[in-house]
Amino acid sequence: MKLLEYEAKKIFSEQGISIPKGKLIQSSEELGDLSCKFSFPVVLKGQVPVGGRKKAGGITIAHDQNDAEASVSSLLGMRIHGYVVRKILVEEYLSVAKEAYISVTIDASEGAPVIVASSEGGVDIEMTARIHPEKVLAKTVDIASGVTEDIAAELARRTELEGVPLEKIVDIVKRLYEIFVNYDALLVEANPLVMTIKRELCAVGAAMTIDDDALHRHPDIASRDEIRIEDEIERDSRKQDIAYVRLHGDIGIIASGAGLALSTVDLVKDYGGEPANFLDTGGQITQQRIRACTGIVLKNEKVRGLLINMYGGINPMVEAAKGVASFVTEERLEIPLVAKVRGNQEEEAWRILEEAGVTVVRSIATEIAVQKLIELMRK
Amino acid sequence: MTILADENTRVVVQGITGNIGSVQTKLMLEYGTRIVAGVTPGKGGQSIHSIPVYNTVEQAVVEREAEASILFVPAGRVLDAAEEAIEAGMGMLVIVTEHVPVHDALRVKALAQKRIGTVLGPNTPGVISPGKTKIGIMPGNLYRSGRVGIVSRSATLAYEIAGNLTEAGIGQSTCVGIGGDLVTGVTFVDLLKLFEEDDETSVVVLIGEVGRTVEEQAADFIRKNFSKPVVAYVAGRTAPPEKKMGHAGAIIERGRGTAESKIEAFRRAGASVITHPSEVVSRVREALGERQRFASRT
Repeated sequence: MKLLEYEAKKIFSEQGISIPKGKLIQSSEELGDLSCKFSFPVVLKGQVPVGGRKKAGGITIAHDQNDAEASVSSLLGMRIHGYVVRKILVEEYLSVAKEAYISVTIDASEGAPVIVASSEGGVDIEMTARIHPEKVLAKTVDIASGVTEDIAAELARRTELEGVPLEKIVDIVKRLYEIFVNYDALLVEANPLVMTIKRELCAVGAAMTIDDDALHRHPDIASRDEIRIEDEIERDSRKQDIAYVRLHGDIGIIASGAGLALSTVDLVKDYGGEPANFLDTGGQITQQRIRACTGIVLKNEKVRGLLINMYGGINPMVEAAKGVASFVTEERLEIPLVAKVRGNQEEEAWRILEEAGVTVVRSIATEIAVQKLIELMRK
Repeated sequence: MTILADENTRVVVQGITGNIGSVQTKLMLEYGTRIVAGVTPGKGGQSIHSIPVYNTVEQAVVEREAEASILFVPAGRVLDAAEEAIEAGMGMLVIVTEHVPVHDALRVKALAQKRIGTVLGPNTPGVISPGKTKIGIMPGNLYRSGRVGIVSRSATLAYEIAGNLTEAGIGQSTCVGIGGDLVTGVTFVDLLKLFEEDDETSVVVLIGEVGRTVEEQAADFIRKNFSKPVVAYVAGRTAPPEKKMGHAGAIIERGRGTAESKIEAFRRAGASVITHPSEVVSRVREALGERQRFASRT
């Protein structure tokens, strides 16, 4: 789960990392008289859980109260990469002497945390990493022993924030790593980390992503999760812990396992169909769960055919078949349904599905099931 | 022997008294797996399917000489249970559990590296050497014994590929899931090293998918150090680009991680890349044939 900027900044601040003076508002009324708290100009930042905000016009600078009010009305309700701006962070405008970059994330190829530091901050950091790799330093960390003094110092030097004592930057590196560990983060990013003309360090940009599978350890954060998914079906599936992504076509897909679901989506496209969604049931297959999965896929009104592709590794397929069959019968579904289910008790599962009017493909090859469904839909 | 496990491997089931643990223990016993003990803290002294249950892995080692463990414990208990198994000296851990927090997986991996234990998972179907043993949850009827090794990130996609081979009469030596999560114990490279040395494996099928960079690393290893033919499949060619993990993800991955990057890497490594799962049958046949011709010449 990606946190909003103001949420990440609150955590940074609580952990002793300086952030700009700011105020969070949700309406023009809440803006109030800015001159009480700020001196102009101020920065207004639309809060959406997605990158590329600045380039999309989600950040503006206001030079006086009128300017700020105009910015608020244009920002609120703005849609940025699928997310609607509902909150704005108003911040003081800092006079920056130098920008840098520090982040902590997981290097999946090493299976270890990695800290990245660069003397170039801001939105073009990825470009810098490609063109000037010597300006970017990445150090993996042994999770058992944490960040050593040496590694922290080496990373701190790479920021080239030479106007402040090194130990202050070392301290920020360590604190960011602490946040990463304490919050089960997949990403903690200070970008840009700036040195002001008064030679003070400040995290002007902050980003954090928390591991969804660890959200239960952070109940205060978890409670905000669902509300920020804009797509209604995706929000529903999230509530039920079903991995669902809406796509643009008309063939609904239910697959047991992410890899199988990805492969099924590929095959549908290769055989001339258009997938309506990606859906991974997860391993805990029960009647109720498969019923819920079927409901979620069919909630998308574009769906004109449904493909069920499942293997019963951990649970019998009979349960899955019952879940699909009960939904199909009760909802009097009339679109073509093709099911390929294999594994424990497959023959009993086939019988239940066929009785409910589902076309069963007994072959092991998903290709056959995909072709069958596309053929039925063309009739 | 086959890689990782065979019919002599003595297995302990952690979480044997739970629903899934109990059902899967039965299925493994039916397959012929040598399960010697179960562990559930506080339930020592019971027995499940005639298998004695102990309170700790340590006891299972002392009493029953367990050497590999399969875990069916809830996600929140995986870190402790895995630590216990590693401390007790298990040579292999199979962590089936899904939704294990990534930071816990990082810790398990770090610990296993220090103690030289092999960890499959989290989120793995485990390992099967058809006809010998099954330390995992895969449906045994989709497999038959033979000379093809399979390594995969996804569980069910591996069933699909193995099932296609089996229905065509092509058997497998060992099929292993590294785990579907962001961070897993072993990676493809670790298993390729084992397959290279394994006399019972002639061809390896590698099943990858978008995300992570374990496929690119595997391709690099295949190009430099792997002598057996490889058939590779990458799922997710048409998936919309993943939501990016800030700038940090892009900096670390350096353009790797996409389906195109993986497919390209396998091609450059000389692997036979298939577009659809069922193509595995003809490509493996080709590879087995070539190898046989090669063997008869020398």
